[in-house]
Amino acid sequence: MKNIMQKIIFPAVTKFINTKAMVAVKDGTLFMVPLTMIGSIFLLLANFPYKPFTDFLQEIGMREMFNQVSGATYSIMALIAVAGITYTYVKNEGFEPMSGAVISISTFILLLRPEVVTKGGETVGDVIPKMWTAGQGIICSIIIGLLVGYVYSLLLRKKIRIKMPSSVPEGVSNSFASLIPGLIIITGAVVVYSFFHFALNTTLVEFIYKVIQAPMQSMSDSLGAAILVALMISLFWWFGVHGTNVVGSMVYTLFQANTLANLALLNSGKAVTLANGAHIVNEQFYNQFITVTGAGITIGLVINFCFLCKATQYKQLGRMTIIPGLFNINEPVLFGTPIVLNPHLIVPFIAVPIVSVVLTYTSIATGLVPPFKGVSVPWTCPPVISGALIGGWRAALLQAVILVLSVLIYMPFVRKMDKTALEQENASSCAE
Amino acid sequence: MIKIRLFCESGMSTSILVQRMRDEAAKRGIEVDVKAFGKVAFDAETNGIDAALLAPQIGFQLDNFKKISEPKGVPTAAISMMDYGMMNGANVLDQVLGMIKK
Repeated sequence: MKNIMQKIIFPAVTKFINTKAMVAVKDGTLFMVPLTMIGSIFLLLANFPYKPFTDFLQEIGMREMFNQVSGATYSIMALIAVAGITYTYVKNEGFEPMSGAVISISTFILLLRPEVVTKGGETVGDVIPKMWTAGQGIICSIIIGLLVGYVYSLLLRKKIRIKMPSSVPEGVSNSFASLIPGLIIITGAVVVYSFFHFALNTTLVEFIYKVIQAPMQSMSDSLGAAILVALMISLFWWFGVHGTNVVGSMVYTLFQANTLANLALLNSGKAVTLANGAHIVNEQFYNQFITVTGAGITIGLVINFCFLCKATQYKQLGRMTIIPGLFNINEPVLFGTPIVLNPHLIVPFIAVPIVSVVLTYTSIATGLVPPFKGVSVPWTCPPVISGALIGGWRAALLQAVILVLSVLIYMPFVRKMDKTALEQENASSCAE
Repeated sequence: MIKIRLFCESGMSTSILVQRMRDEAAKRGIEVDVKAFGKVAFDAETNGIDAALLAPQIGFQLDNFKKISEPKGVPTAAISMMDYGMMNGANVLDQVLGMIKK
């Protein structure tokens, strides 16, 4: 088993997540993170769980101002993604990246419908519809970001550019370098836009949303998918590979899109409920309920080390790892215990996250905990606090319950390990 | 002055080890400049340094990172799981000293 993992699966995974495209998507979408955090602060204020406060904000007109922030952060995620992905791709190919990013923004906007229909049924032209620059455009932004990055770099490499006489200063000739690739890409985009406009009466962005993104989102938003994600993260980590990174690079964007969909629901004035189509499994579900306190939800293991274990090695490890654990960092536990490749711990290491997934999913599905609206916190935010921020006291309580379960599930396994370690320690101290 | 750079997924868990290595170096009277970064910064942060180390969880990508650092003449290795887990600053510092000697 170990050999299969190391000879076949690791190289394959490494190859996949190190393809130019995956690197560009992963690093490029990182540009979205600061904006979602900033947007979260204002979103949290505008929807503060204390009604007199929000009423007051509404009265003095500040709520509207806070929503203005949301409209400039969350609502342009796809634009940021398309620029970030092309930027990263072109940069990694060794060309000047900003010009490529500019062209990809232009291309993305070109492919959007240039009008919106108001609630009254009136069509307003000459706008950039934020509906499609937010979560609903995210998969398309990845596709466009990569395509533009690829074509742009290809054209530059083939030296398809305006040649300037050598007497022209380099700065000037560089400013023309992106002209021909840009012209070719934008022309291509017009052709694509016309095709979708005339032949299908839609746009590429809407088409991709309907045909690819929506089905993928609803697939990701299921108990089965969440369990699979939790299982794969633990499995990869058990083999010593950063599972959160490997699995996250494949599904994280979808979870983000699910969160943005909930946010769009909130901003449209509807209640964020399952009946209105809110998503259960999203970014918050992933960060605060699958990998809380680190992959495998190892805080229970650490607490057992601190308060139950008698063997010195575990007591020491517990003291060292409890603080990082509270900030959701658990590499020292994974490698120090070790959990990696340790047959004694694989069962709770897989079971705890899955228990958490099932519990969280059913809590939301049955209405005990409301679906997460869109506030996101840094993944390093400690549990219970992060729960309170993303979903109020119910989510905080749910996290607390999960932490307690983690302690209980790890307990019998730790007891056994402690006993063995203690015997070894006693034996070696007697021998001295 | 020995310049050492540690890399993991986002420079979080390595930053714990960094402190331990500094303490250990101070104890031995060795002048070091140790910092932790996310792996995204690998190329940018491996210029003019003496050694680069990878956390074990990204150790499986060692060959890819070596392609970047070896042309710069920077010895690069992964930290062993055990030393990383116990945040053993002394062992990792020894590892670095061994790498530089070669």
